[in-house]
Amino acid sequence: MINSPAWIAWVGAALVALSATRNPFYVGLILLWIALSLAFIPPAADTPPVPFSPLRFAAVVIALSALFNALTVHVGRTVLFRLPAGWLLIGGSVTLEALVYGMLNGLILSGIFAAFTLLNRVLPVRALIRLIPRAFYPVAIVISIAITFVPTTLRRFQQIKEAQAVRGHQTRSLRDWLPLLLPLLVGGLERALKLAEAMTARGFAGAGERAPHDAGTQTAIVAGLALVLAGWLLRLAWQMTAVGGAVLSAGGLVVLVTLWVVGRRVPHTSYRPEKWRKNDWLVLAGALVVIGAFLVPWPGLNRDSIFYYPYPGLTVPGFNALLGGATAGLLGPLALLKGGSAR
Amino acid sequence: MTEAPPSAAELKQLLLSLSIYWLTTVIGAAAFLYPFWLPGVQQSSLMTQAHTADSPFMLTALVGLCFVVVLLEVQGAATSAKFVALLGILVAINSVLRFVEVAIPGPGGFSPIFFLIVLTGYVYGGRFGFLMGALTLFVSALVTGTVGPWLPYQMFTAGWIGMSAPLCKVVTRLFRLEGGWAEVAVLALFGGAWGIVYGGIMNIWFWPFAMGPIDQHWQPGIPILEAFRRYAAFYVATSFIWDAMRAFGNILFMALFGQAVLRALRRFQKRFAFQYRPAEAGGRP
Repeated sequence: MINSPAWIAWVGAALVALSATRNPFYVGLILLWIALSLAFIPPAADTPPVPFSPLRFAAVVIALSALFNALTVHVGRTVLFRLPAGWLLIGGSVTLEALVYGMLNGLILSGIFAAFTLLNRVLPVRALIRLIPRAFYPVAIVISIAITFVPTTLRRFQQIKEAQAVRGHQTRSLRDWLPLLLPLLVGGLERALKLAEAMTARGFAGAGERAPHDAGTQTAIVAGLALVLAGWLLRLAWQMTAVGGAVLSAGGLVVLVTLWVVGRRVPHTSYRPEKWRKNDWLVLAGALVVIGAFLVPWPGLNRDSIFYYPYPGLTVPGFNALLGGATAGLLGPLALLKGGSAR
Repeated sequence: MTEAPPSAAELKQLLLSLSIYWLTTVIGAAAFLYPFWLPGVQQSSLMTQAHTADSPFMLTALVGLCFVVVLLEVQGAATSAKFVALLGILVAINSVLRFVEVAIPGPGGFSPIFFLIVLTGYVYGGRFGFLMGALTLFVSALVTGTVGPWLPYQMFTAGWIGMSAPLCKVVTRLFRLEGGWAEVAVLALFGGAWGIVYGGIMNIWFWPFAMGPIDQHWQPGIPILEAFRRYAAFYVATSFIWDAMRAFGNILFMALFGQAVLRALRRFQKRFAFQYRPAEAGGRP
């Protein structure tokens, strides 16, 4: 069993690596590790079914991306064929380089989709809700209510549909959806009224209509945001990278610390707390290796091969064994698989 | 009866709230629109690519930061049981509509979720609309298994739709259109416009990092007008038809269901307008 934050770190590492490189060797390795994880890590019992298969998604996206790029980007030395120049947007030479670059973009999108598909499969909804920071407890309550009522609302929708069908109602066009939608909405609002009464009867902030944050919290957030804005302007508009980065980070830190302080004020009870085990450290370490390799300019590590670009002429991309090996950090959850217990 | 003037503490809080909204709007808009305003940067080809690699993280972090701050500020309204229950149920209903959309996809960006976000924002206020938009996208992603890196951007933009919906009141009150078909027409136009703008905003965050024909592709240092011209060409080539379907869907849903749904929301607004008071000793309120 892997902890939810460890899974978030894993998906974050996959996202960072896929966003940072266009080198087909590294992209291919990352996709291979994600595909193996998808194939062997069993889904959690109470996760929703994924609407699209990652394979089908990849087939469509890679084909469309390659086609679109090849038809609209007329750059590259290896001309496959030419379309009449008068054809809007697609007229001109269709090159191998554009085709390859489109395919690479499609592969990256497919990898991101597959990584999140795995996350959706292994983390039940309650684990995702538990990840909402304590400072956002009203939002978490709203989300809990909504998720609890989604199955009820679906059942109610089915009941309304059957009741209207018994009366002879047929849904031929969009206009015919009003007799289904309106009872669903009005019934839902009636239920909201009853729920509000029940919540108030049980002591949920019945008397106070509004309790905004105190002035100290708001002041700290305003200060943090002002620092973020100033730092960003210094960094990007005036090229003061180091000073700007420091000011921006300080602003972000002020906002995050304020959120943490607001969260600490919220009484919190956890009935089944997730335990952070040795396995979670291993998954986290693997994720940090991937992130560190693709984001941090380590002295002595040649990172040139990360930035592959097939234009103007297709070349064989470089490969650094250290960077390639670092991608194996994504195998953490799979390596911990023991009889289907990795999630 | 005249209302008492706001106290100094209330004025201070209002000022701080306005400052938070202003700063998040400026940073969020600047983060989304930075390809248009960033001046030319003289970099070597490798540096340009390195910058291209780290910018998405910077933008995601800035947009994420703005989002959590707005969420923290807006959720200050969600401390009453009525607000929480109403929002929770409406988010559930809208998520079911998204569920239907995933099961039976419409053409292009055609989606049934935006018209309810606009209407709830219009009737119940901007804060409610922001939470309705952002949480609908979040809950529907959870129940349909479509959590992904696009989700924070979708939540933020859908939140903006709900938050900006009360702007329609300026028009409907000015021309006294409330309660008639003209009011629905204003909301339909608003929903239609957001159908296009939503897609336009969702494109901007990745446009500088996407490749394409040179006349549609962002490059460091291009003048602002040229950047707008290229983005317009990119948008027309890649997204306009998709977003036009969303705009059409929003107008259609509003035209078909807008008046009836508005009536229902207003009726319940009156029914929800009561105050709980703690009972005094002896059991009498």
